[in-house]
Amino acid sequence: MTNKIKEYRARFNLTQEELARKVNVRRETIVFLEKNKYNPSLRLAYDLSKVFGVSIEALFSD
Amino acid sequence: MKKVIILFLIVLMVLVSAIFWFLSEGSNAGFTDNLHFLIILLIVGFAVFIGFRRLGSAKRREPAEDELTKKVLLKTAAWSYYISLYWWVFLLFIKDRIEIDAELLLGTGILGMAVAFALSWLIIYFRGAIND
Repeated sequence: MTNKIKEYRARFNLTQEELARKVNVRRETIVFLEKNKYNPSLRLAYDLSKVFGVSIEALFSD
Repeated sequence: MKKVIILFLIVLMVLVSAIFWFLSEGSNAGFTDNLHFLIILLIVGFAVFIGFRRLGSAKRREPAEDELTKKVLLKTAAWSYYISLYWWVFLLFIKDRIEIDAELLLGTGILGMAVAFALSWLIIYFRGAIND
């Protein structure tokens, strides 16, 4: 599974730490997500899509 | 933060006990004693590394544990349990063939379990937690 978190994060001008704080995870989790080394839970995927104001499908793809 | 303090206290107790034990062995310390002491130092080093990571998270006001850390820990526990089973079977196999002290056997078994846990954690952490 791939994602566009890095792309959206740059568009929203957020640092990894800021995004981590917004979705209540560690910065490391954001690093792992951006490197596609971790598949998030539905809860985290939902929270991330909410921060960027897009659907989960727009953020994550197979 | 509380968990980090507890972790560092445990590390300190293990380190002090290991040093006392190693010093009490003195010149009687053989190869296995040296090896056990080295493994204890490695495990202590691993625990200190984890402690400082948690301390860094606390300073950044991040949650000490999130879904990634929990998942890595869960996978590590499963892997190390599986490895430990085979480790004990191997030690029991060795015990029947070689004259080995019960204390040494238990020490090797317990240290082996700790090493299995630390290695599993490192592999899973650097490989990533992907649902495959």
